Amino acid sequence: MLYLFIIVPLFILMFLNLPFRGLKRAAFWLAAALCLFQMFLVLFPDSFFWKLDFAWLDHLFKFDLAIDGLGEIMLFCIGLVVFISVFMGRYINADADEKLNFFSLLLIALAGLNGIVLVKDVFSLYVFIEITSVSSFMLISFYKRREALEATFKYLILSAIATILMLASISLIILISGGTSFSLMHEAIRNSPHDFLGIFAIGMFLSGLFIKAGLVPFHGWLVDAYSSAPSAVSVFLAGIATKAMGIYTLMRVTSAIFGFSIPIGNVLMLIGAVSIIIGALDALAQNDFKRMLAYSSISQMGYIVLGFGCGTALGVAGAVFHLFNHTIFKSLLFVNSAALKIQTGTSRMDKLGGLARKMPLTAVSSLLAGLSTAGIPPLPGFWSKLIIIIALWGSGHYAYAVIAVLASLITLAYIISMQRRVFFGEPAGEMENVKEASPGVILPTLLLTLIVIVSGLFFPFILENFALPAGMIIK
Amino acid sequence: MTAQALSLFWPYCIFIIMLVIIGLYCMLVTYNLIRALIGLELLIKAITLFLILAGYISGHPVMTQALVITLIVIEVVVIVVATGVVLNLHRQNQSLDVRKLRTIKD
Repeated sequence: MLYLFIIVPLFILMFLNLPFRGLKRAAFWLAAALCLFQMFLVLFPDSFFWKLDFAWLDHLFKFDLAIDGLGEIMLFCIGLVVFISVFMGRYINADADEKLNFFSLLLIALAGLNGIVLVKDVFSLYVFIEITSVSSFMLISFYKRREALEATFKYLILSAIATILMLASISLIILISGGTSFSLMHEAIRNSPHDFLGIFAIGMFLSGLFIKAGLVPFHGWLVDAYSSAPSAVSVFLAGIATKAMGIYTLMRVTSAIFGFSIPIGNVLMLIGAVSIIIGALDALAQNDFKRMLAYSSISQMGYIVLGFGCGTALGVAGAVFHLFNHTIFKSLLFVNSAALKIQTGTSRMDKLGGLARKMPLTAVSSLLAGLSTAGIPPLPGFWSKLIIIIALWGSGHYAYAVIAVLASLITLAYIISMQRRVFFGEPAGEMENVKEASPGVILPTLLLTLIVIVSGLFFPFILENFALPAGMIIK
Repeated sequence: MTAQALSLFWPYCIFIIMLVIIGLYCMLVTYNLIRALIGLELLIKAITLFLILAGYISGHPVMTQALVITLIVIEVVVIVVATGVVLNLHRQNQSLDVRKLRTIKD
């Protein structure tokens, strides 16, 4: 059944690109319906779809796929973020052909992301990561603007180096395992007499994933790519692409192949803490709205890795919950940046000012998302950070817990400074005639704001039913 | 691991390491975008060879052949997109110099 998550987007992609008239108009509806259906399937695990029986199809597509709690959360986030990108793409692109190309690339990315989440074999994982990366490259340089092309080239080279590191590590493990499925490799590494080989392979694979996730010290490409990509693509990249390719893969590979161990946990916590501090300090110094969000993204990913590196079930649950929350509020902030960019023509914070009265919805939603990023109760970011900090304190990592708390203050500082410079005060000279954004941006804003509020108020439900079961991936 | 396989291991390993060094040198020294991509290709070729070697040593040559064919296809896709980006950069900058790629600033 699960292979339909990969096959259906590809079939819709092929169908949409058939040379018939009228298909271009159907493109948006089909892509959006697909994403919504994916979210529906995750939310209702008892629905009819999971009980369907396609014996003849199963015979055609022999994939080895599996899903667990973490995978379900990822599938939901993928559906949501791709839906929002598709929705914004519909209003931002003027031309029908452009729209079709945009949706096609997003559908390829959707298939790739679903594949990353579902596979149980490390080589297929590599294939799906590359599919997602290639469609991200093309989406970033979609309008062939100069800065975007430059950022794409940086991303491309670093991403290729990351895949080379990962492939070298895979080859090293094949030397001792003779197969590429997660379970075979796990057995081989555990029983291998060559300790050095295992450590070397794990080190290379993790460095590749750190590049893909854009963690410090490999974060150079991420800021350029996020800030110069088209608005709808920034949402996609920051919301899900780097998370699925970097953080999710890191969690999956660490728990299913390498087996979680104390040294790996220490490396992850160190990288996480450094990312938190450097990302937050750099975000404080930015003048561009999107660049600030990109640095903030690095800092928040650091929290996820820190919580995961702690290694206890509570820490992993906190990391997964923060992954979900970060997907929601960072997507919301990037949607807000799109609204600002479209309505005012700039994303430089020194030129903006006093927009709260002109764009009330954008101002309120970005304040909510920002406070959630900084961890103010009762917004969801507070709960997930709290769980991570409790897990760190409980497992005896006091220094990291203190770093996590203090960096949260820096986060609050840059969020408040951003709010003050962009939304509060008197309108700057050129901002007199600014209006609230168009429905193409406002509807995603409302949807995401609703999810932020609901997941903050009903966090025990999400924690009990989704995050804690997902935290069981480490045995 | 048979004796014959082991005797092949080290010559191949030395060749792979040489390819990696040449590829890295090519990427680090040049200011030309196309040459950087050629260096990237050399690195991927080294990995491809390593994958084949790993399959041969561990006794699963057929599996790694399938992997290598997939790898080649994907690498072609990545390089095509990369050359597309380089082509567009050349149209905008009228040069292939990496030092011209400094328009993104704070």
